Amino acid sequence: MTGAVRLRKRAPLAALAAVLALAAGGARPDTTVGVVGIFGAGHLASTSGEVIYQQICQGCHMPDGRGASGAGHYPALAGDRALLSAQFMALTLIEGRRNMPAFGGKSQEGFSYIVPTLDDEQIAAVTNYVRTHFGNQFKGTINAADVKALRRPH
Amino acid sequence: MGKVAMDGAVTRRQLLAMIGTCAGSAAMYQAMSSLGFAADSSFKGPTPLGAAPQGASVLILGAGIAGMVAAYELRKAGYRVQVLEYNARAGGRNWTLRGGDRYVELGGAAQECRFDPGLYINPGPWRLSHHHRGMLHYCKVLGVALEPFIQTNYQAYIHNSKAFGGAPQRYRTVKADYHGHVAELLAKATRAKALDEAVSTEDQQRLLQSLQEWGALDSNYRYVKGLNTSEVRGYEVSPGGGLSARPVYSEPVQLSEVVSSGLWQGMLLAENYDMQMTMFQPVGGMGMVGQAFARELGPLIRYNAKVIDIAQDERGVSVTFEDTSQSMSRQTAHADWCVCTIPLSILGQIPMKVGTPMADAIAAVPYAASAKVGLQFKRRFWEEDEQIYGGITYTDLPISNIAYPNYGFFSSGKGVLLGGYLFGLDAAEFTAMSPQERIAKAVEYGSRIHPQYNAEFENGISVAWHRSPFTLGCFGMWTEEARSKHYDNLCAIDGRIVLAGEHASYMPAWQEGALTSAVDAIGRLHRRALAQGASS
Repeated sequence: MTGAVRLRKRAPLAALAAVLALAAGGARPDTTVGVVGIFGAGHLASTSGEVIYQQICQGCHMPDGRGASGAGHYPALAGDRALLSAQFMALTLIEGRRNMPAFGGKSQEGFSYIVPTLDDEQIAAVTNYVRTHFGNQFKGTINAADVKALRRPH
Repeated sequence: MGKVAMDGAVTRRQLLAMIGTCAGSAAMYQAMSSLGFAADSSFKGPTPLGAAPQGASVLILGAGIAGMVAAYELRKAGYRVQVLEYNARAGGRNWTLRGGDRYVELGGAAQECRFDPGLYINPGPWRLSHHHRGMLHYCKVLGVALEPFIQTNYQAYIHNSKAFGGAPQRYRTVKADYHGHVAELLAKATRAKALDEAVSTEDQQRLLQSLQEWGALDSNYRYVKGLNTSEVRGYEVSPGGGLSARPVYSEPVQLSEVVSSGLWQGMLLAENYDMQMTMFQPVGGMGMVGQAFARELGPLIRYNAKVIDIAQDERGVSVTFEDTSQSMSRQTAHADWCVCTIPLSILGQIPMKVGTPMADAIAAVPYAASAKVGLQFKRRFWEEDEQIYGGITYTDLPISNIAYPNYGFFSSGKGVLLGGYLFGLDAAEFTAMSPQERIAKAVEYGSRIHPQYNAEFENGISVAWHRSPFTLGCFGMWTEEARSKHYDNLCAIDGRIVLAGEHASYMPAWQEGALTSAVDAIGRLHRRALAQGASS
């Protein structure tokens, strides 16, 4: 658990109400002073692919990368042929896919306060990590500039 | 390129297409300004459907609030009803964990709840607004007793680990000081004629009077130590009787600290439409609602049924499911119509014969992370030591909330707190932990606010909603853009199938949203059934 949560933009008030519906709290506005907030949308400080995986991804894809199955399932990343394309994985992180939230930050403006965001370097790092761990041995790497190029213009 | 994925989630096919053409020209996402979250309940009282067509049947998928409301009302109208439920219990996210309960999350980690009798936490919804009329109606009809849910407790804390040396502040003093300083500033501006253009001279006098009373200002419109301010923010030594109880006034916190501490944020929530007092909770836990529905519906609900295929044609609906209690034996249920309340996080993975508009809508909604932790302590130290009776403490620590039980006041035995209610990155990080790590972290963080934690903690249980086998997430996150493109398609009847649930409402995550979506859906389905006549 890192304590270093860099806070992001202020949530729109109406959007704030959304989360308030569920949780009991307020937003965590961007600020340099210590501010009480209830939601840590937040931005992970680490640029280690391993750390990012362990602090976010494994919540669903599990510590061993094998996913899980209940009424629905989380896909295994171990041995996932879709990871042949580093771009595919990076873009999935940026944009989200179906029930998986977008971690790219900008593509879900209204929810930037409840979905943690990863920057280009972090997305590259965790992509490279997953493609070379859990038994995966996919060739090639991706860097922050490659990830940036995948982002849709704003 | 500009046509794909204007909403939050995209499909694999769309992602590949984007890679192929290099992301460059897609339209930017619009910042959302309104999500419609504060919408009033559309429930205005029970509205009987009228008689069902002779012999007509409805298959309902999911025995959560939406599914059970649909089953209850459709049965009453004369439909033949069957409900398929994945879990071995009814309620879905309407759920209470009590001593003796066992919960196995995705990934296989099992927890045994070891709370004492009568103690519990609600891993999902835990409060009802006084204007959530649908929920209140069914609680009454089903005999579910309600008691106050204390949203605002002036004696509870607002805590910023980086302000006041990390010492938690009473809600009472934060509110008094914030209002007091704002009132003083506004009075100052008024008297300095800074508001002459905006406020008439007569109204300025009225405004000044209101500021003086509202902000507890003195005769010179100052927010300073004295009787006025102690009467709202509390005393250093409170008044009493006899010779030993002469009051001592308390010292207000200065403006700069009030503002920079950010503690004012901890007061915003209770001002929200859905959180304003009076709030309610079912006596014995939110799960009492689901249990009451289950008793009422009895054998209509088939448990341990994992839906794996949803098909329809012009004559009816066929849903294939596996009985998870009988080594996955596969069966098919048939009906004329289907109300599907399966969360979109799961529904999107089930082969389903619906048109592209509904299929695209199902794929367009990502699910939010959230986690809760319940902690049992040997004694109710928050009451005994700190005079906190119910309500919520807010903190900037990852746990974000400590919520005190709104029941069992003054009992001398053990007590259970909600030791954490997390969202965002904090929730993601807690989800990625083992249940034991979550509990340990909640105790560690909470002890910074209540040092008694260290000596009094006994046991805990945690639920991280992305690890929930029956939802794979907490609630559907609609962006305004996704809603404008997909919401109507999600709710529209597709052939013989209609969807319901919090995801098909403008009240995400609220049970009232699930309930009103079900009422709306079955009304439309019933009209279509009537138009088509008797069972085929």
